[in-house]
Amino acid sequence: MNDPYKVLGVTPSASDADIKKAYRELAKKYHPDKYADSPLADLASEKMKEVNEAYEQIMNERKNGGSSSYSSYGSASYSNAGQGGYSNSYSGADPVYSRIRKMINDGLFVQAEQELSGIPSANRGAEWYYLMGVVYYRKGFLEDAYNYFQTACRMDPANVEYRSMFTRIQQQRSGTQNGYNPNTAAQNSCNCLDCCECISCMLCSDCLCNSCG
Amino acid sequence: MFGYLRPEISELKVREYELYKSVYCGLCKSMGKDYGILTRLTLSYDCTLLAMFAISLKGECSHVKDGRCVVNPLKKCRFCSSEGDGFRFAGAVSVIMTYYKLSDTISDSGLIKRGAARLLKGLFRRSYKRAEKAFPDIAVSVKEMLGRQQQAENNESGIDSASEPTAALLSELCRSLSQDEMQKRILGTFGYYLGRWIYIMDAADDLEKDMKHNSFNPFRKHISDDISQTMSYCNEVLNMTVAQLVPAYDLLELDSYKEILDNVMYFGLSFQQKHCLFDKKKSKKCRNKEKDLFAYLSKGDKRS
Repeated sequence: MNDPYKVLGVTPSASDADIKKAYRELAKKYHPDKYADSPLADLASEKMKEVNEAYEQIMNERKNGGSSSYSSYGSASYSNAGQGGYSNSYSGADPVYSRIRKMINDGLFVQAEQELSGIPSANRGAEWYYLMGVVYYRKGFLEDAYNYFQTACRMDPANVEYRSMFTRIQQQRSGTQNGYNPNTAAQNSCNCLDCCECISCMLCSDCLCNSCG
Repeated sequence: MFGYLRPEISELKVREYELYKSVYCGLCKSMGKDYGILTRLTLSYDCTLLAMFAISLKGECSHVKDGRCVVNPLKKCRFCSSEGDGFRFAGAVSVIMTYYKLSDTISDSGLIKRGAARLLKGLFRRSYKRAEKAFPDIAVSVKEMLGRQQQAENNESGIDSASEPTAALLSELCRSLSQDEMQKRILGTFGYYLGRWIYIMDAADDLEKDMKHNSFNPFRKHISDDISQTMSYCNEVLNMTVAQLVPAYDLLELDSYKEILDNVMYFGLSFQQKHCLFDKKKSKKCRNKEKDLFAYLSKGDKRS
């Protein structure tokens, strides 16, 4: 087993608060929600497990040493998520689509795409567009995937699965988590006046310090 | 490459900034030594980042030395050097990409540009041969990528298919940076979205120029009267790519330069989006408005 302190990126002399902070940051970094549709979901959940174990180990050791108590921060909810896959959430009965869902779960995207393309366009319902979206998403063809998900949602607006996927992608596109969100620009951007003031202030204090010293 | 991958300097610590500069200068020096003085001209921020990734992923030992700038001997400079071949790798990518880019220019440009490209290509030939000899795989991948790029452009492809060749190339290059199977898997995904981001960023940045020259651009179908609306769309496409890129990056086991690389991923990308898609365009728009105002005023003069 790795050194739990090294896993969390802290020194053994770190305070409980520091450890908690480091743990929270790592938990956010490897959070299953972030990797929900990623091909690397398994690696992220492994990391998450490692981080959880390290945190629990440190906290247990410290508790037994009598230093403090801890609350296991959502470890149960983190370890279970991220393994949902595409078949579990759907209870429909079309055997063709459930077969394709199985292929997608097994990572056979090329086959799944072939199978989907083989379905005549007259029979293509909302689920066809959704599954095609999933295949394209995993292929890295994000714009096509986005359009397929959009169509699926339009055809079947009540479906929770399609809706939640589409909402997730819209969130990604808005740039609130990663990337750039033009709507919050006003808060983030550096105000030129402040910079000037800051620099002039630094210059003044520099002059003062020099004259004093 | 295009120079979009750079850190947001205001978010760097001073020592990190110094280190970044020393890597940049170190790469310049190493390229001159390994592939010939002229290749220093191809130095870019993207390749600097690639060098940092190579060194960091391979856990190469790197150190910083004092010296003088090779271009301007009056300037004192710090150079980073590494014991492995991280710099050689990044330099080779730069040289090979430039060489094939020149071939591309020769095949589809006007007479004057073609002549200049031919001349440069001749000057670069020896450097290219050296780089090709050191890293034959890169040369093969780049050549294949450009072929597929040409095809995608001829087919008037959409954003996904047009960006795929660049994405696949970067995926290939990044994969070659590690021996570990798990790291390779992460790097493959990371490289794919990194390449996709670079390509889309470049396409969005060049959109107006391409419209003027009537050359291929994957965003052409999405253009609307209001340029800011088109840019918002480009920004959305980029955001979605970053949303795949950052999670892959977070899983990488990096050794050195972690703070700088973090900076590029968490601040640099979004800053470039802001700068290239919104600020630059805005300033141009302001200038146009001024021009309009000027035209209006001079018209008024005539009227009176």
